[in-house]
Amino acid sequence: MANNSLLAPSVCFENVCLSRGGNLILNNICATAPAGGSTVLVGPNGAGKTTLLLCLIGEMAYTGRIQFAGLEHQPRMAYVPQHLIMDRSLPLRVCEFLALSRQRQPLWLGLRPWARSEGRQLLQMVKAEHLEQSRMGDLSGGELRRVLLAAALGRNPELLVLDEPAAGVDVRGERLFWELLDAARHERGFTQIMVSHNLPLVAHYATHVICLNKTVCATGAPRATLTSSTLMELFGVPIHLYPDQCDPEDPGCPQCGVVSEAEGLLPNYAAIERREAARMNARLASRMAASPCEPCSEKAPDQGGSRA
Amino acid sequence: MPDLSPIYALISMIPLDCLQMRFMQQALLGVLLLAPMASVLGVEVINFRMAFFSDAIGHSAFAGVALGLILAVPPRLAMPLFGILVGLGIMAVRRKSDLSSDTVIGIVFSAVVAFGLAVVSRAEGVGRDMQRFLYGDILTITDGEIGFLALLFVALLVFQAVGYNRLMCIALNPVMARVHGVRVALWQYAFAGLLALVVMFSVWAVGVLLVTAMLIVPAATARNFARSAGGMFWWALLVGTTSAFAGLTLSAQEWLATASGATIILVACCWFAVSLFVAGATGRRRS
Repeated sequence: MANNSLLAPSVCFENVCLSRGGNLILNNICATAPAGGSTVLVGPNGAGKTTLLLCLIGEMAYTGRIQFAGLEHQPRMAYVPQHLIMDRSLPLRVCEFLALSRQRQPLWLGLRPWARSEGRQLLQMVKAEHLEQSRMGDLSGGELRRVLLAAALGRNPELLVLDEPAAGVDVRGERLFWELLDAARHERGFTQIMVSHNLPLVAHYATHVICLNKTVCATGAPRATLTSSTLMELFGVPIHLYPDQCDPEDPGCPQCGVVSEAEGLLPNYAAIERREAARMNARLASRMAASPCEPCSEKAPDQGGSRA
Repeated sequence: MPDLSPIYALISMIPLDCLQMRFMQQALLGVLLLAPMASVLGVEVINFRMAFFSDAIGHSAFAGVALGLILAVPPRLAMPLFGILVGLGIMAVRRKSDLSSDTVIGIVFSAVVAFGLAVVSRAEGVGRDMQRFLYGDILTITDGEIGFLALLFVALLVFQAVGYNRLMCIALNPVMARVHGVRVALWQYAFAGLLALVVMFSVWAVGVLLVTAMLIVPAATARNFARSAGGMFWWALLVGTTSAFAGLTLSAQEWLATASGATIILVACCWFAVSLFVAGATGRRRS
């Protein structure tokens, strides 16, 4: 359970290109994932995020260079996939799964005591100690992702690579996963690179963001990178993560965005309510205008006031 | 050639009339070596979803015989060699191609069967080989072949001791396995080669129609009985070995007189039926 903060590498992508079947998937990627940081790749589907991770872990051939600065050897990596390929009938227990890549003795000769005890410690780290004897196939989505994280942490990695590790998990489960990941990174100091589509959580937990759409659109600290203009360029829809950074005006967005700056992650329900009230009032006003004989037609509420 | 007569003497001590004959003693020794190997590999075949793969290898046995006829190589040598070639070939195409693995296996399957039939349609006197190919012929196994099976048994035991965890890891997620230090390609090819060899011997024992059952039924039964991945190995071993013993001895009884390969598989299927009840009860307890 060592802290690698002084050993963690920074990852430098230098002119990384990859094409498949004549299609350019990665075009001259130049970016850096700082040592000991939490770097998140953000971008639409088909942007090449997973492909870039696969290049990083040596699964795909590419041109250009990926360098690990600060280390003289290849970093010890761990990988958290989106899912496992198994069905519910596989009687693999969580403690066995955690021992798979650490214990040389085959599982059919039993678990070694040290492997069992280390597995228990790893499960405690991801708040899943109660799952030790559970079957892998019986775990919920959130539990499975935490066990996968525990298995990766069991390798004591210098570089942790995660490919949409909490995709399909409910809001609470995903929040817990990010919290545990963040705590583990602070405790052990590894460099982390992950793909995620959950922008509010990225804004909250990431230390560095690479916006990718076959090429690098923006890179840097989340607040400087996840601007509405960059997100509009990436996704083609108005997304306002930070109210004070709403460059293009969005008429449906009172105070530039429904995400509260104070809460960071929770929707600003007051703003949503005000917007809905304004719409209701506007509808009422138009009805009143259509039937001027009614006595209160001149007292239709002021639309601008409802937006205030 | 090692002297196997002490083992045959030991087998003859089993109080069953049918086991007093030498060819039955040889057959029993043969299936007791083969069944555990097939059962244990079956665990991985199910994990990798490769049942169709083993079927294709089994069907390549006849193409192997046909190739042996053309090249004047003894069928019992040509069959396993050709099986290994086909197994490694499928694995290579599967790893490199974007086609789904069942499509790749289906194409190879068709090619080897068509090749075998084409050669047989021209050649004379391969009727006996065809029978052997379809129904199995464990009763004609020789001491030399038993010796080879024993060597294969030791090799497989070592392979399972070193590779069981790694193969499980690859089956769960090959990318994760690779990043976590498993040499995925090496283990996949080694597995395909060993599986091809065991499948070819199993074709001799139970015939091509039932070869997949010899791998799959004990392993599927083990999944229902076992409470852990380690236990799954031992259950597969138990089900495969007891089915082989019971099936062979039952088939030799006068009141039954059935094909030995088919009887072995039927006993294994009875095991599976029992395991379904156990799995149902366990599932109800878990849910």
